Amino acid sequence: MTNIVMRKRLTLLLFLAVILFVTLIGRLAWLQLVRGGELEQGALENRVREIVVEARRGDICDRNGKVLVTSVSADSVAVIPAQVEGPREAAAKLAKALAMDEEKVFKRITKREAFVWVKRKIDFATARRVRNLKLSGVELIEESRRQYNRGSLAAHVLGIVGVDNQGLGGIELAYDRDLVGKPGKMVVEQDATGREIPAALHRLHKPVPGNNLFLTIDETIQYFVERELDKIVDTHHPASAVIIVMDPKTGEILALGNRPTFAPGKWRETPQAVWDRNPAIWRLYEPGSTFKIVTAAAALAEGVVDEGSRFYCPGFIKVADRRIRCWKAGGHGSQSFEEVVQHSCNPGFIQAGLDLGRERFYKYVKAFGFGQRTGINLPGEAKGILIPEEKATSLNIATMAIGQSIAVTPIQLITAAAAVANEGELIKPRLVQAVQSPEGRVLRTFKAERVRRVLPEEAARELKRLLEKVVLKGTGVNAYLEGYRTAGKTGTAQVVGPAGGYVPGKYVSSFVGFAPVDDPRLVTLVVVWEPKGGIYFGSQVAAPVFKAVMEDALRYLGVPQQAGREKPEKPWYMIEEEPKSVTVPELVNLPLDEAVRSLKAAGLRFTLRGDGEVVRAQVPQGGAAVLAGTKVVLELKTLRGNGTEVTVPDVTGLTIKEAAALLEKVGLTLVPSGSGVARVQQPAAGTKVRRGQTIKVEFASPERLEDSEPAVLHP
Amino acid sequence: MRVKRFLRSLDYTLLAVAALIIVYGLIAISSATHVTNPTGEDPYSFMKKQIVWAALGFAVVLFFMGWRYEELPRYTTALYIINLALLTAVLFIGHTALGAQRWIKLGPFLLQPSEFAKFIIILALANFLTRREGKLDRLRDLVPVFLYTGLPLLLILQQPDLGTSLVFVAIMFGMLYMAGARPALLLTLAFSGLVSVCGWIWAHLNYGVWIPLKEYQLARLTIFLNPWQDWQGAGYHMIQSQIALGSGGLLGRGLYCGTQNQLNFLPEQHTDFIFSVVGEELGFIGAGTLLILYFLLLYRGVKIATAAKDSFGRLAATGIVTMLVFHILVNIGMNIGIMPVTGIPLPLFSYGGSAMLTNLAAIGLLENIYARRQKILF
Repeated sequence: MTNIVMRKRLTLLLFLAVILFVTLIGRLAWLQLVRGGELEQGALENRVREIVVEARRGDICDRNGKVLVTSVSADSVAVIPAQVEGPREAAAKLAKALAMDEEKVFKRITKREAFVWVKRKIDFATARRVRNLKLSGVELIEESRRQYNRGSLAAHVLGIVGVDNQGLGGIELAYDRDLVGKPGKMVVEQDATGREIPAALHRLHKPVPGNNLFLTIDETIQYFVERELDKIVDTHHPASAVIIVMDPKTGEILALGNRPTFAPGKWRETPQAVWDRNPAIWRLYEPGSTFKIVTAAAALAEGVVDEGSRFYCPGFIKVADRRIRCWKAGGHGSQSFEEVVQHSCNPGFIQAGLDLGRERFYKYVKAFGFGQRTGINLPGEAKGILIPEEKATSLNIATMAIGQSIAVTPIQLITAAAAVANEGELIKPRLVQAVQSPEGRVLRTFKAERVRRVLPEEAARELKRLLEKVVLKGTGVNAYLEGYRTAGKTGTAQVVGPAGGYVPGKYVSSFVGFAPVDDPRLVTLVVVWEPKGGIYFGSQVAAPVFKAVMEDALRYLGVPQQAGREKPEKPWYMIEEEPKSVTVPELVNLPLDEAVRSLKAAGLRFTLRGDGEVVRAQVPQGGAAVLAGTKVVLELKTLRGNGTEVTVPDVTGLTIKEAAALLEKVGLTLVPSGSGVARVQQPAAGTKVRRGQTIKVEFASPERLEDSEPAVLHP
Repeated sequence: MRVKRFLRSLDYTLLAVAALIIVYGLIAISSATHVTNPTGEDPYSFMKKQIVWAALGFAVVLFFMGWRYEELPRYTTALYIINLALLTAVLFIGHTALGAQRWIKLGPFLLQPSEFAKFIIILALANFLTRREGKLDRLRDLVPVFLYTGLPLLLILQQPDLGTSLVFVAIMFGMLYMAGARPALLLTLAFSGLVSVCGWIWAHLNYGVWIPLKEYQLARLTIFLNPWQDWQGAGYHMIQSQIALGSGGLLGRGLYCGTQNQLNFLPEQHTDFIFSVVGEELGFIGAGTLLILYFLLLYRGVKIATAAKDSFGRLAATGIVTMLVFHILVNIGMNIGIMPVTGIPLPLFSYGGSAMLTNLAAIGLLENIYARRQKILF
């Protein structure tokens, strides 16, 4: 080979080397200088693991600082798969300690992830078991679990949290941002095999604990409310029930309870329908006679009625070719407006409503807040249903005047009643008093929020006077409070079925009232949906509950009693009620206090024979029709071991589900046939049978009521 | 007097560059092995061993400079046979590590005969081709060369050590080119070889045709095209080294401060992926400097080949340059993600005694060829 060729070839080789090096340098520059940042991020992601450290969720206290909800620490089991030695064996041990499926545990701890939760928020004993296993790569991380100190007290107000302590309902959701705090994180640097590097970064960004909330709820009054709700449930087995207690001057809700209820700590064990919605702010109903407060307020404020106004009630009123009957057959005859209110006379109120006319009537309905949310700080509030003003016919006005053709929420109604108690000023209802930092510094306080003036003061005062008369002489005598001037209004409405029209035998009984009349401290609303057992009038179901709550609450608050006051002359049901036939409740085997309650609720009196706390026998027998006020003789026995005998409850009118639940409660088993609502049961209600026996119940579809005529109802 | 003249005629640039690369490598190794063993072992044990190897290597340089290289052809056949014997021995008594049987244990050190084999094949081929110069125009002229090279190559492929086998192929082609083989023929051969290998792999992947490669070797060969398709498996090396280089940026994260290296995200960071350590900790400046040093090394190598006074010298120098170029290209190429991952170390830089001795022997031989160069007086 010639020298020239050789040199040529070597030069070419050198040239190739140059190209090569330029390529290498170019690629290097591309990686290091152009894509540097992006790849650097990759390096960071490689070695840094962030583990979120939950902040301690703030406490929820009642208005006096009693802790209703707090956070307690609970360990969670996490695994760093890279550090697990012998995953098979570890999974077996871990599964046993945690009572989990071994395969499931194995799958989790062998995930190709830096960090895997195995089980969250385990109890103390389990945590100790896991700790004792001393498995490598298995860590117990302290998290916190929500603890509801008072069981299901004020469940719907407090609400619920999810597994990450995130608010899912109630105050927990509405004030989540205050309660949640700022989660911290643990930044752990690790090497390629997932080992933590001892000398490397191991920063803990401390979580900032959440703030504490002070509610307007008063634990003690809430207890009264819960107690009364339990009694309602035991006595009347309603579909649901609500009691709200509010301070009319500040809008503070002192107590709010619902039935059915749930335990916020174990909400998953309760059907969603129970914890999902708060009936007090969501459930719509026709307020019936309690709404007549609004009609009366409007009539008084607009001067449509005055002391001299006379109303004549022939037992019905004709509106647009429709006859709307008064609850009293034959009518009330000639009355003053005061008497109209006392008697809750339908034609009287309809007349007042029609005299006001659509525009003026609507002005007050809206001013009182109907058809709008009250703005109470809870999630899921309903607006209610109000026929649009421009579409309202005079028949609509007439029925609305007596609380029909309008759907309201309990919170709307009590807020409206509170405005009357508060001399005509509407105050926004609220549940939170203050937000406090974890160190105890008050961060925010909430003040009474005046919405608007609804009534002139004189009109409000006059209305209060009239409503006091309702309790003294009218339909509200059962609400009469010992020692306090009381004003209020009963209401009994029929339940509107899904197809429209009213469902026979289903009622909403309510009572709203306040005391003391001259300086109202508390407003209370009691609403009972579909009470069972034949008693359904607001005056009989709701008014006594109002009385029980108010008497206890006013005394608890130390409101001075007023001596020498007017008292109702006689129980109203004796004078107003036509010789009413009531059904004697089945009392055998009931505890005495409950037997007495249901007798009272039924309008019966009683005498006792013998000693003991349980009713052994009764005269007359349960189911007998007697006149209201009749004395029932109760023979008592002491409770001994013969709890195996139970009385078959009446399930007629219930759905299969409801019947099964009721029977299960007393230890009986349902054998259903057909579908719809219960028609016939065997053995019959009242029969005494052994626990565990089966009850055959025939179900049939309920009749649809075509009749959409506004029901004629007792107040 | 002779010694003085000899010393004057040495290529000091080459020596200096080689020394700089070795020292640079020692620094890089010390960082790469800094926390590899958290067990309390001497963190500098790798660097110290490498210093011992470099010192031994210096003796080897002197040894290969002292001879008259013109006498080397006499021993090439013997060396070739010893080489075959060693490679065969490895297959039977070799030490196994990382899934391959490549080492022979010698006291505390592991010797890797396939490293020496590269140098030996350069010498043997230089002699073999010198005698065939000008008679390499036809394909059948090349067959003996293929057989001659192929024998040790197959033994190395058995270990298995695909990377070193490929070095043999590269050396052979480089030397054939310098021995005067027709470039068109060589190009055709290289191209058709590449095509048939690719076709074979393609056929294997798609139709399961048999291939003399283990699955992991195949995966490493193909994964560089898209490392993310198996980022925790075959693609892991490539991704981690690119992340290391990228996070180095212009100036690097500082010596001993590269997280990819120090936290062992980089695999084999003191051998195959040491370039990424430099790139991460000393940045583009550091890695670029290393590339420039290598370029100077190769430039001197080509110069020496040009200056060689005989065919044997020229061919040996070419073989050495080819070997170095191939190592640098493949190693850095895999570090920067443009070449498949084959376990080829960076010459004079990666940790490894056998490679150090081999490369320094090659440097010594280059010096020898240069010192006895043609004195052309224009």
